[in-house]
Amino acid sequence: MGTFNLVKWFKEYGWRHLVGIVFVLFAIYPILFVITNSFADFANLANSKLIPDNFTLKHYKKLSGDSLVPYFRWLYNTYKVAIVASIFNVLLGTLAAYAFSRLQFKGRRASLLTLVIVQMFPAFLAFVAIYLLFFQISDILPFMGLGTHLGLILVYLGGSIGFNSWLIKGFMDTISPSLDEAAKVDGASDFQIFTKVIAPLARPILVVIFVITFIGIYSDYILAAIFLKDKNLWTVAVGINTVFVDDFNADWGVIAASSVLAAAPIATLFIFFQKQITGGLTAGSVKG
Amino acid sequence: MKFSSILRYSVLAIFNAGSIYLIPLIITFESWFLLTVLVFVTFLINFTYLTDKFAALKWITPGVIFMFSFVVFPAAYNTYVSFTNWSTGHILTKSQAIDLLEARTYTPDDQKGVEFDIYIFENNTDEYYFAADLAQDQLLFGKAVTQDEIDKASYATHEPSLKSESGEIVTPDGLKLLAGKDQINKANKLQELSLVIDSSTRAQLYKISVFGSSTGRLLSTSQRYTYESEYDNLIDNSTGEICSSDGDNFVCNTESVDPGWRIFVGSENYKKLFSNQRIRGPLELVTKWTFQFATLTVLLAFTVGLLLSITLNKEKLKFKRIYRALYILPYAIPAFVSVLVWKGLLNPDYGVINNWLDPLYTFFDIEPIKWLKTKESARAAVLLVNTWLGFPYMFLITTGALQSIPKELTEAAKVDGASGVQSFWRITFPLLMVSISPLLIGSFAFNFNNFTLIFLLSGGGPPVIGSEVAVGWTDILISFSYRLAISGGRGNLFGLASSVTIIIFGIVLLISAISFRYTKRLERIYGNI
Repeated sequence: MGTFNLVKWFKEYGWRHLVGIVFVLFAIYPILFVITNSFADFANLANSKLIPDNFTLKHYKKLSGDSLVPYFRWLYNTYKVAIVASIFNVLLGTLAAYAFSRLQFKGRRASLLTLVIVQMFPAFLAFVAIYLLFFQISDILPFMGLGTHLGLILVYLGGSIGFNSWLIKGFMDTISPSLDEAAKVDGASDFQIFTKVIAPLARPILVVIFVITFIGIYSDYILAAIFLKDKNLWTVAVGINTVFVDDFNADWGVIAASSVLAAAPIATLFIFFQKQITGGLTAGSVKG
Repeated sequence: MKFSSILRYSVLAIFNAGSIYLIPLIITFESWFLLTVLVFVTFLINFTYLTDKFAALKWITPGVIFMFSFVVFPAAYNTYVSFTNWSTGHILTKSQAIDLLEARTYTPDDQKGVEFDIYIFENNTDEYYFAADLAQDQLLFGKAVTQDEIDKASYATHEPSLKSESGEIVTPDGLKLLAGKDQINKANKLQELSLVIDSSTRAQLYKISVFGSSTGRLLSTSQRYTYESEYDNLIDNSTGEICSSDGDNFVCNTESVDPGWRIFVGSENYKKLFSNQRIRGPLELVTKWTFQFATLTVLLAFTVGLLLSITLNKEKLKFKRIYRALYILPYAIPAFVSVLVWKGLLNPDYGVINNWLDPLYTFFDIEPIKWLKTKESARAAVLLVNTWLGFPYMFLITTGALQSIPKELTEAAKVDGASGVQSFWRITFPLLMVSISPLLIGSFAFNFNNFTLIFLLSGGGPPVIGSEVAVGWTDILISFSYRLAISGGRGNLFGLASSVTIIIFGIVLLISAISFRYTKRLERIYGNI
């Protein structure tokens, strides 16, 4: 004993590293490739390689200077729509969750059940109706019709309130009722219990729900694509998948740069909240 | 006053102000449905926040309104649309279509040909003015407008001052008379312009003359169609024909007049989907592939994820955390970005994948794979990319599930003489499935509608040649429906598209029902271990 036995090591650990590394390559190759290529000093896809000979910022510069491809405008639009929709989504979801968790009222169970059943169906299944409804609204209320950010925000807002308030309610149920009973004894109203006791204690889940909703809206393609026709109003998902599809070879550097800029913040956010997000998703789908 | 009251009344005041602003606006558009909804919502909100009757309503009303307006109602409306003929050419309501048809004009033959001298002026902002010398006491002058502007243009006025006593034309201040040569240079533009004389008559430039004055011509238009409500007929004034309605179009001498209007057609769309062979064929193909795709993609991602979590689920294995952190990455990137990047990697002419495979192609002397251009390669590519996108999630959930299985169970099996393989298939795997199967069903349901992947990677293509509707070999039901409604290139078949989404709706309902039953059953079997 004491000497290193390669065969035994391989049987115990080595093959695990082998499999592990193969799949690490599978997982990160495309990501590394697009990151290095976004800084690479070559013009097209045909002569691209993983490690370029020279590095440059020219693709990023091109993105900021091209008026035909208003890339930063798209990023701004995406953040605007996703942040506004997520804030209201979490706010309204929290209010509803409080009632479901703390108040006794007739139809509570039935409405909860309805909430969960409605959210089993992805909201975008009704995309034809959403398109036609907002098409008609455009005539009467042009500021929220088809082609506007406000209309899109409203659709996103409705899309996940039910699911979110269900998740938040689940968390609120774990907050001990003795806390709000104590507050009630001190003469606090429902509103005060909510703002002073429950909401602060529920903050961790609210942050997670906000992040999940934000990432979900940021990544949406179908609703944004049917809603937004004006190039300057596009979200980044619509923009890069509309403009760069014709000539991959010539546009490759710019495609890589725009992919990195679109993905990096979301990936960072995701990795930071990874435990809570996957935990939340799991809990949600087990219950739902 | 308490903060909560201030908040309540100020929000309520803003909301009511909004409603009061919107109600007259909606009334002018005669949208009675929207008006009903708005009045109801306004009433509900005021009732909720001004009375203390139902405390719970105060908390859930805002969320419920949004969920109802933008999820429940669209779902119901979608069902309604699936029972209509709503599509290109049948977008308007009947009265809108009739208004549109009655506004159409034509030029009767006997109104063509009155000719006269015409003078053209230009100002310094590229606008043109015509002076039409129709008769002794009719020298009409005004701005010349394009076809689109005719409805809004003001009528030409009689301006005798434009003619001197000797009969020469006088150029008004700020304008420049265009000579014949200049007119020829700008002929294309000038021929588009008209001088509007009255609601049915206009003057246009007809012949340009280099020496002397150019010739204009009068065009007189009349209303093309007249609707007779008592017979539900349309009369074509240009031919005198009587066009009767066939339900959703007027038909003049066997030819349909466009536009028609939308009507309730009952189960027509569903009949088309199930019995019209030219649509049923594509639908069957797409449905089959949707199930294949969702099943295969879950199986592949699950297999890879499980394989990795078993491989790494070993005590004292080094770099475990690093492996795990790296496997998350594909999951962390928005799919619309990953798909775009993969499209680059898969590019048949320049992509890295074909570069790698090049030695193989040479060795076996075969043609390079035309990724995404052929049925098989497109389907393989879609599955490959989705495995990449999906295995991290499967890795995460199987790792979690494996770690929650008590060690004692497998150790006890070992004591009883079971091999590693045996204890995996008999104990670990069944226990794993208890907690994982609802998630697998969830993943199946998600991929069943994975529009972003399919639409952005392959666009549903390559196209199935010779099919009546736009359909491709990798189309799943939702992308098929999207192409019918929005981007098929063969008009917008909203009614048909929404009936396809209703079918998806039914399938998702079925999957959910099965998942509820199936997982309960699993729990009963394994629950008391």
